[in-house]
Amino acid sequence: MSRNVIRIKDVKKIYQMGKEQIQAVNGISLNIRQGEVCCLLGKSGSGKSTLLNLIAGLEKPSSGTIIFNKKHIERMNEDQLASFRQKYVGFVFQSYNLLPTLTAMENVTLPLIFKNVPLKERNERALEMLKAVGLAERAHHKPHEMSGGQQQRVSIARAFINSPQVVFADEPTGNLDTRTTYEMMDLITGLARKNNQTLVIVTHDLELSEYADRIVMLLDGKIEKIEDKTQVEGEKE
Amino acid sequence: MSTKDLLDMALRNLLKRKLRTFLTVLGVVIGTASIVVMVSIGIGMNESFARQLEGWGSLQVINVYSPNGNSGYYGMEEEISTNTPNQQVKLDGAAVESFRQITGVEAVSPVKSLYLMLGSGKYVADANVIGIDPATMEAMGYKVEEGRALSEEDVKAIVIGGGVEFYDPKLNWEMRWNSEPPEIELVGEKVEVSYDWNYGTKYADKSVKSNKFEVVGTMSAEGSNSWSVIMPLREVEKLQKEQQDWEKKRNGSSSSSGQRQSHEYEEVMVKVDDIKNVQVVQQQIKDLGYRANSLSDELETMKETTKMLRMVLGAIGAISLIVAAIGITNTMVMAIYERTREIGIMKVIGASLRDIKLLFLTEAAFIGCAGGVLGIVVSFATSKLVNFVAMQQGSDMTSSIPIWLYLGAIGFATVIGVLSGYLPAKRAMKLSALSAIKTE
Repeated sequence: MSRNVIRIKDVKKIYQMGKEQIQAVNGISLNIRQGEVCCLLGKSGSGKSTLLNLIAGLEKPSSGTIIFNKKHIERMNEDQLASFRQKYVGFVFQSYNLLPTLTAMENVTLPLIFKNVPLKERNERALEMLKAVGLAERAHHKPHEMSGGQQQRVSIARAFINSPQVVFADEPTGNLDTRTTYEMMDLITGLARKNNQTLVIVTHDLELSEYADRIVMLLDGKIEKIEDKTQVEGEKE
Repeated sequence: MSTKDLLDMALRNLLKRKLRTFLTVLGVVIGTASIVVMVSIGIGMNESFARQLEGWGSLQVINVYSPNGNSGYYGMEEEISTNTPNQQVKLDGAAVESFRQITGVEAVSPVKSLYLMLGSGKYVADANVIGIDPATMEAMGYKVEEGRALSEEDVKAIVIGGGVEFYDPKLNWEMRWNSEPPEIELVGEKVEVSYDWNYGTKYADKSVKSNKFEVVGTMSAEGSNSWSVIMPLREVEKLQKEQQDWEKKRNGSSSSSGQRQSHEYEEVMVKVDDIKNVQVVQQQIKDLGYRANSLSDELETMKETTKMLRMVLGAIGAISLIVAAIGITNTMVMAIYERTREIGIMKVIGASLRDIKLLFLTEAAFIGCAGGVLGIVVSFATSKLVNFVAMQQGSDMTSSIPIWLYLGAIGFATVIGVLSGYLPAKRAMKLSALSAIKTE
């Protein structure tokens, strides 16, 4: 757990809203370790989602550097980012973001299609992944035929199918009821820990942060406090 | 993204919105069909010209004349490309050889003609006897209806045109006019050939030696060769020599005036391998200093006259296809608005810009291609209908679709599709992944 997979140094993100400048992320430096479950916790407007988007390369920082596996994310162009996301990153969103016209199985295989994996292997892996999230019997259903929890399971399967190094989850349980929320958190952290994958979860829910190894608390675009549970076991940086 | 997945995904996206896809394809169908039908009518026009001219002889044959002679078809006088009439240029054996060397020339035959009498039993006929290299007879466009054409080995053989009429020389003009032409079986029979124009009458010169020729075939009674008799060139030359000797003897010492020297020909026929090369070869022959013309000249003139009409027809078709292309662009742009979120998701989970672009281009190409394929089906039916109506009305206007036009139409429609999809594809590519997935 010692290697840092992501190094964020003095990152700022400034939005121009009319005449007003909004500093969504205001000078954050943070290292994320390989295999840890890291929770970015904060209220609405704290900059947690923006930070996640910056790390994942969905937005470019106004200043600062983000290094992922020794590569500068902020310097990549669209094509390099696409290839970076394809190789190293999986996403889980609050609103699932499944393609409504595809079946669960097809949604899960989508990342593999772009990676040129042959059909047979694709379907085998997708089925395996759907089994892992407990949805094998729903493989051929379309998103609108499934409950919110089931849709989020499909989206988790899609995020993990490519065995990414890091999975980003943005309010993954925001649309789910309490019982499903815990199921989902068990599932996603379980999958990540099993393969020593890094999981970065953005949430405003203090209870969810219980699942994390480290909790990064954000306030007004800055880190307020980092709570490291692993330090109890004596591991220091 | 593999090609198969790309095609699969594009097709599924199109089938998702069947009505819209169908309407867009319909636009391309109309565009393609109108272009194909319009062009086919233009082609049909040219083909009907060619058919008309084929009746007069082969379109692939060039008739070459000596630059200082005055013979020619129907008085069609050709400008000589060299400025001064070239007295050195002779239409002789060497000239024939030089024509043979020109690329695209399939066969060359010198031509000599004589006006001779034919006799079969008590009947006679007069005919223009054309002497050519017998091996080239078919190549020169002489079509045999019954029997066979002349061949290299033929000696005393002829092919008679269907329009050559036998009559009883003992009858006067009026009686001949009113009597039915006699039924004579010619093929396989021998006929008498004589240069004495009084042959068969009581004035016939008994000293003229008999010349029997076997009729090996007959030609159609229609077309410009129907009154001709085709004979191997060397036989014509022999007869010409005999005729000259005979005339000399009859008229005293002086030879008949205006006789061409025997080693020069009055005409040479040049067969070109393809109708497309006729004008090129003809120009090369003219550049050598000869006069040359061909039926292809006529065809060119006819094509030139209708060029404007054909261009207007083509333009009408082109406009419909442009409208169809705008339809494709419109459909694809709308698809992007609808699928903004989908595009964003695909980008986030690892689709490259190229994948996105190709996906949209493929969808547009599918529309174009489907429109092209259905378009040629519609064109085929329309073309048949045009020909049917034209035939009913006895009109010359026909529609003819060559295979290249079918294939070209599909290809062209597909290219139009891709071009129309280019702008939307570019737009899809530029969509920000983040703002796309935030769109609810």
